[in-house]
Amino acid sequence: MEGIIAIWQRDVIKFFRDRPRLIGSFAMPFMFLILFGSGMSGAMSAMLGGSNQAGPLADFDFVEFMFPGIIGMTVFNTAIFSALSVVQDKEFGYMREILVSPISRVSIAIGKVLGGSTVAVFQGLMMLIFVPFIGVSLSFGMVLELIPVMFLVAFTISSLGLLISSSLKTTQSFQMVIQVLIFPMLFLSGALFPLNGMPSWMNFIVKINPLTYSVDMFKKVILQPEQMAPALRQAMGLDLSIFNHVITFLEEILVVGVLGAIFVIAATIKFSNSEA
Amino acid sequence: MPNIVEVSGLKKFYKNFEAVKGVDLTVKEGEIFGFLGPNGAGKSTTINMLSTIIKPSDGTAKINGYDNVTEKNKVRASIGLIFQESTLDEKLTANENLMLHCKFYGIDKSLREERIQEVLEIVDLTDRRKSIVETFSGGMKRRLEIARGLLHYPKVLFLDEPTVGLDPQTRAHIWEYILKLKKKAGITIFLTTHYMDEAEICDRVAVIDHGKIIALDTPEILKSQVGGDMIEVSTGDNAAAKKLIEERYETEVTESENNHLAFRVDNGSEFLVDFVKEFDIPIKSVNLRRPTLNDVFLHLTGREIREETLSKKDLARKGMRRRFH
Ligand SMILES: Nc1ncnc2c1ncn2[C@@H]1O[C@H](COP(=O)(O)OP(=O)(O)O)[C@@H](O)[C@H]1O
Ligand SMILES: [Mg+2]
Repeated sequence: MEGIIAIWQRDVIKFFRDRPRLIGSFAMPFMFLILFGSGMSGAMSAMLGGSNQAGPLADFDFVEFMFPGIIGMTVFNTAIFSALSVVQDKEFGYMREILVSPISRVSIAIGKVLGGSTVAVFQGLMMLIFVPFIGVSLSFGMVLELIPVMFLVAFTISSLGLLISSSLKTTQSFQMVIQVLIFPMLFLSGALFPLNGMPSWMNFIVKINPLTYSVDMFKKVILQPEQMAPALRQAMGLDLSIFNHVITFLEEILVVGVLGAIFVIAATIKFSNSEA
Repeated sequence: MPNIVEVSGLKKFYKNFEAVKGVDLTVKEGEIFGFLGPNGAGKSTTINMLSTIIKPSDGTAKINGYDNVTEKNKVRASIGLIFQESTLDEKLTANENLMLHCKFYGIDKSLREERIQEVLEIVDLTDRRKSIVETFSGGMKRRLEIARGLLHYPKVLFLDEPTVGLDPQTRAHIWEYILKLKKKAGITIFLTTHYMDEAEICDRVAVIDHGKIIALDTPEILKSQVGGDMIEVSTGDNAAAKKLIEERYETEVTESENNHLAFRVDNGSEFLVDFVKEFDIPIKSVNLRRPTLNDVFLHLTGREIREETLSKKDLARKGMRRRFH
């Protein structure tokens, strides 16, 4: 147990000590929200035919729509890149210090996943700094609800990261695999634009993408779609459904949770079998 | 004294390549045991098997009575390890590195402070406790690693080339610490080196070449097996001199890098008197010395253990292997 805490603690200490990374972590979300979001919002509204009209679609605000997606993206990126530390530890030798100690491989894997999850939650929470500038109203209760959701998502994605990193030896190869994975997952998750009227093959990818459900959870907490007019909700792509069944928040928790359990078990097994 | 390390028939295959070809040895409690051999001899591979990092292909090893394959965790708790390449977290402070180690090894909370102070004192780093390791010199990092390796009071401390890449002064310092340690803690030390002078300090030395131990004894006995004295000469025409010496005195002459010819004779002082008188080629310098462990290696293999002459290939391989660990 103490071993798990030690592994976790090391990653958390290093996260807060790495100032450039901390500051740099705002760059991407900032660009997406301000440049991409604001730049696109006019076009988006026009496309929806809502810019000059009265009616429910007039309320469509693209930046507001994007905000939960940006939080999702931040949590996702941080969590999956936290596994980079596993590869770096192999490269810089520290992994051997860990592996020759009497802590079990399982504890090491769990400690790493928890470390990555914690860091991702912090990073996700830091994105709330943007709240006052984009006109989303966020209550304290919503923030409290957001934290466990972030943690669940971060846990699942960190486990996926560990699973990937356990079979890779170099930082370069890890970064390459992650880049190839990150963009389709991000673009086909509904984080950056509403997923309406897609070709069916794409729709299929969207539905098997764990990030889709993760992002939708953030949307449900932050945007409160049940209080929206149905037409607006539809336009914003908030009626995520599978086989004509609109997926509930609870079902999403279940999907992400089950995936997380599978990933963490697979990652732990994979990690335990790897030699120092 | 009981045996703290017992190894028999230890082998390691990398695909078809046999890096370690059946090693047998025992180390007594409190001994300084040295593994001497050139680069690529299989020293690190052996140490990695002994310390449970890699799995032996064949054979058994026991440390502190525990089997290296079936009782890994008990072995791990009994040993301290200092690798050829640094395994410190350079972004953390010395104290944080040590504190994490305490936690990994389950050292009782109430003991940690005292232990950290103790090991930092041994390696003279007390005043750098709060510094980030990145700011340390190579020698300081090595010392910190040694300190960390001692924190959990291991029965056996493994050191893989503890002084490689350090300047002579720092090397001497590290050795001071190692000897201090042996005196103070009665700890068993198992180290590898390709420096002759370091092997001399060991209680016993195993000479390893191409994955096999070719000699194992105290440095004194090993050197006396070479016997006699070593003569080093430099002449106006080394090639001719080499031929002449080999013909006249029926001894094997080797040419060392600094243009010296070296050969062994039974009684050096008597030999020299006549040699200088009757030698036909002009002699520039002549020197008589006792055999060293290098001569032992030369005697056994016909080659020298070269110090600090890594070929480009070796360096490239080293870089590659690092990633595989
Ligand atoms: N992971 C590996 N895969 C293949 N060959 C290896 C590996 N590790 C070491 N070797 C080879 O095994 C031999 C012994 O290496 P090593 O034990 O590192 O030597 P030393 O430490 O004595 O310099 C070398 O020829 C080296 O190239
Ligand atoms: Mg080596």
